[in-house]
Amino acid sequence: MANNEENRDIRSRQGINTIIVNSARNMHMKTVNARIPQKSTPQPLSQQQNPQWNNFMVNRGTQNTSTIHQRFKSPLAPRTQSTRHVCNNPNNPPCAHCGTTIIPSPKAFMPLEDNPEIIINNWKISTKKKPILNSVELEDWENNKLKGLALPEMIFGNNAITIQNIEKDWTLQFNTLDALKMVKLEDSGIRVSYSNKWLDAKKNNATKNSNQKSDIDESSLKIVHNYDWTYTTEYKGTIKQNSKDSVEYNFQRDDEVQLPIDKLSRSDKILFFDDMILFEDELADNGISVLNCKIRVMDERLLLLSRFFLRVDDVLIRVIDTRIYVEFDENIIIREFKKYEDQYSSVLSRHRLSHSYDPKAALRDSNWVVANSPLVTRECEILKF
Amino acid sequence: MDLDKIISLIRQGKHIHEETVYTLCLNAQELLINEANVSKVDTPVTICGDIHGQLHDLLTLFDKSGGVENSRYIFLGDFVDRGFYSLESFLLLLCYKLRYPDRISLIRGNHETRQITKVYGFYDEIMRKYGNSNVWRYCCEVFDYLSLGAVIDNKIFCVHGGLSPDINTIDEIRDIDRKQEVPHEGAMCDLLWSDPDEVMTWSLSPRGAGFLFGKNEVDNFLYKNDIELITRAHQLVMEGYKEMFDGGLVTVWSAPNYCYRCGNVAAVLRIEDDLSRNYTIFDAVQAQNGVGNAIIPTKKVQMDYFL
Ligand SMILES: [Mn+2]
Repeated sequence: MANNEENRDIRSRQGINTIIVNSARNMHMKTVNARIPQKSTPQPLSQQQNPQWNNFMVNRGTQNTSTIHQRFKSPLAPRTQSTRHVCNNPNNPPCAHCGTTIIPSPKAFMPLEDNPEIIINNWKISTKKKPILNSVELEDWENNKLKGLALPEMIFGNNAITIQNIEKDWTLQFNTLDALKMVKLEDSGIRVSYSNKWLDAKKNNATKNSNQKSDIDESSLKIVHNYDWTYTTEYKGTIKQNSKDSVEYNFQRDDEVQLPIDKLSRSDKILFFDDMILFEDELADNGISVLNCKIRVMDERLLLLSRFFLRVDDVLIRVIDTRIYVEFDENIIIREFKKYEDQYSSVLSRHRLSHSYDPKAALRDSNWVVANSPLVTRECEILKF
Repeated sequence: MDLDKIISLIRQGKHIHEETVYTLCLNAQELLINEANVSKVDTPVTICGDIHGQLHDLLTLFDKSGGVENSRYIFLGDFVDRGFYSLESFLLLLCYKLRYPDRISLIRGNHETRQITKVYGFYDEIMRKYGNSNVWRYCCEVFDYLSLGAVIDNKIFCVHGGLSPDINTIDEIRDIDRKQEVPHEGAMCDLLWSDPDEVMTWSLSPRGAGFLFGKNEVDNFLYKNDIELITRAHQLVMEGYKEMFDGGLVTVWSAPNYCYRCGNVAAVLRIEDDLSRNYTIFDAVQAQNGVGNAIIPTKKVQMDYFL
């Protein structure tokens, strides 16, 4: 038997091949770095450089939260060294104001909830993170909120990023429920790579054993429950507006508009940063479907990226990006929507041209995939208050 | 070879020499080859679900449930992938199997295959820890010898995934030639991959491969085999376990805070002599200082100038 042969082989195959080692290192860098805990966070200013740090630490527990950061400046104030943002939540980690960046530190254990926020001018940005939904919540989503959808394996259903214009009481939120509501309740037409082989084997088996050995008939090989099992969502966020305001604020479609990459490429200090998964499914080990949302807030602007990443192994690759850009002083908000898609094999072949190490590692990296897949759709919208 | 010493090294997360892994794997194969596809187990016994390389949580599991020195265990598979300590978790279970052969049963999960471990972490982990894939290959050889199920006191059937339309009686599982890579189709594949669902009959998964089975299939299987419960793992459950179909089937999940970020609790199920069910719930090992440490990673947000 083949196994015995392999057993005998085990010893003769020892020894380290340098090419394998190098490729292993590369692969390691590429695929595993992201999963390894970050040893260092972006450097905070030292205490000597920023005397406010000490005050902050002392005041934190005792002072009224609203007075912790009372140095709220007018929007017209020169913004070189001055701080004009407000952090209201007492659970916020120390912010840039006080010597370091606000990076909400997720604790994966219940019943903790992170809900930090930051205010700059008219804009309030907040994020919320909790563990995956429990059975009671899941049941509610399954039977009521998302009736008809077989839910993804991991639903961070209480996670959200909210961008609010306080003055106009206009809100754009990225939340899990609304994203999943856009998953189609129909057959996506996509099948796992070995589907035909699997079905053929079952059909053969069924005919061969027509003497009730097997329980299945033709109907068992049809899909009863139709929904898009890839959980593809073209979610662009949820807009909520206070009805008191007579003016309705809507995005205007204008594909000519471009995100100001120059401004976003500057290394302006990040005052607030968060990164979260809204839902994820491992597609029964046939790839991955994940919706991720992250935001960075600088003194003058913010960028939010909501990325849906789908990889069906040996079948296809799909990325759907929604970017939100806000220019605080001009009260401009831009929403850009992009869709990338290609055959798995095509993306993989592009990789082989340029790299020698494990190409499949790259297919787990959504940034690499975006850079190596054709753009299928791009839409842009703008809103000015 | 000194199993107790190796066990102690593994428990500390120390590096295990390639030669040692080789010997362990070879000995384990010799032991497992003599086991049936479906092993018979006596009560009382503790049933454990997916582990997924979370060594430190596996240690908690043993602590909370009496330990292999004192009680019997059935592991329902998926020892490797996802977590950072797939090798140590698997080796610890192998060592226990060698040290206490009749106190621990290891059932194969769908992750105990060459194909899946290449994509979902175990292979990467071995390359990272050893610089070559030998250890991964030794372990994959053992995977092929793991059993496909277990029966407790002729009354409880244990399997990783679920039922198969090709399998009416537990005896039919004994006919499968299990010593191979898990095929993409057939009874062996179904046992490791299928899921229970609210369906009227055998149904094809919308993914185009794999079966869903419902209450009817479970009731039939229980009746035909004169058993009262199917225990399986394979699916994440926030509360650690989930009973379905009027208690005829239970999913047990034993990887707390799965992937270091789901925030779920884990469970093991102890079956007493009178077949009563006792669930023990446990939490993930906490990262120290809230910032993670060498053993337990936290998914601390990493700031970057993304565009
Ligand atoms: Mn599984």
